[in-house]
Amino acid sequence: MNDTIHMEQAVEIVCIVCPNGCRILCKPSGDGASFSGYRCKRGIEYATAELTRPMRSLTTSVKTVFPDSPVVSVRTDGEIEKSRIREVAFALGRIMIDRRLKTGDVVAENICNTGVNVICTSDRLVHPY
Amino acid sequence: MIETLTFDVTVVGAGPAGLAAALEADAQGAKTLLIEREARLGGILKQCIHDGFGLVRFGEKLSGPEYAERFMEQLPKSKVTVFTLSFVSKIEREDGVNILTLVTRDGIRLIRTRSLVLATGCRERTSRQIGVHGRHCAGVFTAGTAQYYTNILGKLPTKRCVILGSGDIGLIMARRLTLEGAKVVGVFEAKPTPSGLTRNISQCLWDFDIPLHTSKTVTRVFGEARMSAVEIASVDDCMCPVAGTEEIIPCDALILSVGLIPENELAESIGVPIDPKTKGALVDERNETLVSGVFACGNALHVNDLVDYVSESGETAGKHAAHPLPIQRNLVPVECDASLLYVVPQRLNQNTEDTERVFFFRSSADLDNATLTVTRNGQTLFSKKYAHLRPPEMERLSVHLKSDQLAGAEPVCFHLEGSRNE
Amino acid sequence: MSYIKKLNRKLQERFHGSVQAFERDGCLVLQGALEQWDDVVSAGLLAVNRRCYDGLVNDIIFTGGVIPPMRLPALQDQALDGVEPDVLIIGGGIVGCAIARECARYEMSVLLVEKEHDVAMQSSGRNDGMVHPGVDLIPGQIKRRYNMRGNRMYDQICSELDVPFCRSGQYLCFQSKGLAFAAYFAQVYYKLFGPRCRYLGHTKFIKREPNMNQKIQAALFFPDAGVVSPYGLTIAYAENAVDNGVRLSLDTAVLDMKLDAHRIVSVSTNRGTIYPKIVINAAGVFSEEIARMANDRFFSIHPRKGTNTILDHKAAKRMTAIVSSFGTSSTKKKHTKGGGLVKTIDDNTLVGPDAVETYRKEDFSTAAQNIADVFEKQRMTDPALSLRDAITYFSGIRAATYEEDFVIRKGRRTENIVHAAGIQSPGITAAPAIAVDVSRMAAELLAKTREVRKNPEFNPIRKAILRPNELSDQERDQLIHEQADYGEIICRCEQVSRGEVKAALHRSVPCDTLDGVKRRVRPGMGRCQGGFCGPLVLQIIAEETGMPLEQIDKNAPGGELLFGTIKEVQSE
Repeated sequence: MNDTIHMEQAVEIVCIVCPNGCRILCKPSGDGASFSGYRCKRGIEYATAELTRPMRSLTTSVKTVFPDSPVVSVRTDGEIEKSRIREVAFALGRIMIDRRLKTGDVVAENICNTGVNVICTSDRLVHPY
Repeated sequence: MIETLTFDVTVVGAGPAGLAAALEADAQGAKTLLIEREARLGGILKQCIHDGFGLVRFGEKLSGPEYAERFMEQLPKSKVTVFTLSFVSKIEREDGVNILTLVTRDGIRLIRTRSLVLATGCRERTSRQIGVHGRHCAGVFTAGTAQYYTNILGKLPTKRCVILGSGDIGLIMARRLTLEGAKVVGVFEAKPTPSGLTRNISQCLWDFDIPLHTSKTVTRVFGEARMSAVEIASVDDCMCPVAGTEEIIPCDALILSVGLIPENELAESIGVPIDPKTKGALVDERNETLVSGVFACGNALHVNDLVDYVSESGETAGKHAAHPLPIQRNLVPVECDASLLYVVPQRLNQNTEDTERVFFFRSSADLDNATLTVTRNGQTLFSKKYAHLRPPEMERLSVHLKSDQLAGAEPVCFHLEGSRNE
Repeated sequence: MSYIKKLNRKLQERFHGSVQAFERDGCLVLQGALEQWDDVVSAGLLAVNRRCYDGLVNDIIFTGGVIPPMRLPALQDQALDGVEPDVLIIGGGIVGCAIARECARYEMSVLLVEKEHDVAMQSSGRNDGMVHPGVDLIPGQIKRRYNMRGNRMYDQICSELDVPFCRSGQYLCFQSKGLAFAAYFAQVYYKLFGPRCRYLGHTKFIKREPNMNQKIQAALFFPDAGVVSPYGLTIAYAENAVDNGVRLSLDTAVLDMKLDAHRIVSVSTNRGTIYPKIVINAAGVFSEEIARMANDRFFSIHPRKGTNTILDHKAAKRMTAIVSSFGTSSTKKKHTKGGGLVKTIDDNTLVGPDAVETYRKEDFSTAAQNIADVFEKQRMTDPALSLRDAITYFSGIRAATYEEDFVIRKGRRTENIVHAAGIQSPGITAAPAIAVDVSRMAAELLAKTREVRKNPEFNPIRKAILRPNELSDQERDQLIHEQADYGEIICRCEQVSRGEVKAALHRSVPCDTLDGVKRRVRPGMGRCQGGFCGPLVLQIIAEETGMPLEQIDKNAPGGELLFGTIKEVQSE
């Protein structure tokens, strides 16, 4: 996979790592890019990833067979490529949970060969509270 | 026979603020009751299935239910008594003791409590409060209601919608509905700048090519039993629609994210004074309201953008509710000028050993290279520099102020200066 | 010179030959074509003459727009085909429902048809709920007579039907010293002709209503004024009617009638053809259409829209009764019904209404300007009135005739119809009295063909859904021990329990919509407008009726709230 930055003009990227939402200005510089406007180094990592291979985590719900909780919330336990978000969300639409999973239990392993698992993010199937 | 129970601390509302307050009060040794009107604990977090919760507190990106469960897991280990499906229908005060009437599926219960913590959260502004007109058909939802339908019931309230208001829940729902198969035509914001966090605009709108239109609003709704279209118009500087700019957009739903209002009906029923700026109670640094023994925290106090601060606010209230002050408070007002939207707490107590005072504030404008100055009697108590300040992003500030710095009745004044970012 | 000649001269002057008047069968008829709806209405108001004619029929063609046809139910079946009721009542507003209940006092089979999915869906559910003392009505008017009689019946009716009613009284306020002087004499008039009234000087008034405008110089207090939930009372009438054997058919629109020798033989609907012996026209804004089908049209309806705003409970603490100001309630000019501030039976403040002529009989849309105008006007009474306290607003369409009076009578030409038409304000007040007379007229007509006896089984008592919130703590505790659902609060703003919502779904008048539940037990009437309780009520409706969530309507068929399960819906 080619992770080198090729950019022709400056872009502003809003960092989504933390609530600060830094606006990072990325300018072409030699073979790569130079960054300004970030408040921590996670900003540079994020901006670099955005310019090469943007990654996102996905949160959504999947259907269950249980009438008390017809859906349960899930998320990826790591980030997946942004371009594959819709594909993964669509794949999760075909899943029907028939076990009373608890928070952290794996709903789908290595979803769509992304290398990440989808985990349950709520205890509503096991705890009545 | 109606049962009467007695507690040291009673917390009303088991969302993030109430959970934290109850656990903290219990940790301080108080006999604590936590009251929740819904069947499940967690408040609004139950339906906030997106991630980003707990970055400050746990250093992790949790979903709403996961964040709430971090607190709920501690309840069985604590001595907190929890009542769910219990509704506080009335509060009366008798010799400084609060008497709550609870409606539950087991009948009416009376609760006598020395300290009362109101963690009643907030509600959404409705279409009627912002004056949405035209036909009154099905298809107008607040973002939170749309979120409940989608995330709890697993049912889509729209196939093609317009979102009015750029509050965070609206932005989150734009992404959520798109991922579930609905078409979000656009997000329309009457103000010239968006109300939500910048990162939510980026990850919820830009990632999915959803357009954001500022200085535009919905002027009319069309449809018979269900909505068929909305009319959008540009607004002028006074937020009034400009004739001739109207545009009809076919859609089956209008989803509103136009602000949250702290719920303070219970507080007001016992005479707790409310800050017109925050719409929450006036409190001191211990989150005690001007009615002694009554505390407020979380979004009932002021609307937060991060749950981590909501929990902190609950802990502050819970801790101090467990330890009533031995001597009467002597309160100094905290004021802010128009450069700030608000500052909380609005009072500081002179009669306290504790010198750390935590403030939360919002700038009223988008500022770069801003300086916050806090003065009293013309003397600067402290100042702090900020690279950026935006109204949607609340700031937390911890300062040490000694009692002698607070002697007298003069207010502590907050002021911001910086270059306006247009 | 004859009236017609004079009138035609005036019409010529005003409309330059576009409108002509002539007499037909004792009625005054207007014909022609006009581009402005306001002109169509003005021509009618200019022409109307009660002394010489039985009614005004306005046949002027409106060329400036398309008058929307009556909204029809989508339902098509034969459920009513071949039914032969003694009495067919058309219209499930308060008038139709009250007539149905009063008809049940006789041994007659009664069918009540309503084109909407619930009763009280149009004007009866869209007004200020005031039980008028009759302040601005003129002796000789039919509506005044029924208002006075109806008003007196309210205590008994509401007690029989278990509907909350409060005689809170009404203040009519006078802003200037001169008007205060006139008010003093006005009370003498009222003492002679009614309604009962008391004069209050500035000090006395302000002592009683300290939050109102301090400039108010005097007020007349009418103790007979009251407030009721207009849809609550309509539903109660309908339930009591059904309990007494009346058949109610919702989603049923009358499409046509067949006549034979001045008698209606059959009435066709979207649910089959009905063969009634007597027809009662209580069709509100559509009563003229029903009269036309019955070949008995001698009046015309010019719909008049009014918008009301409901304020939060907090704002209702500002006053104890209904307060209106003289000058805002002039009905002469442009027929702008003045309205006022009404402290409703549910402890909200209602502000309004205004009055706007319209040709759209079912356009219940609202506009910001109308509300702003009403607020501006009502600040004369309460200067602190603020739109910020508004929790909702709605509009209704009044079924005004050009005579500005009710039409309560047996048919003019058609022998087996009774009209209860042209009923606008004070229709809520008048309905109990109208129902007594109209049911008697129906019984008289039927008595021409067979003996009509009183129904010995008639039970005037209806029990309302329990309101646990109004019980003492002990009684409420007891109730919850018997039925735990009354201890689970669903609607936080109005404190409505699961038990009440469930009860609303199992009454004698069917209810299966979100707004239907709201009209019956109030979840969603509060400041959050159903944001929290809406989804909960929807789930209870699904549980109780077995309907899937996505089939449940907000208010009317076609108004589903949900489109299906996530990830299975195709976007449009």
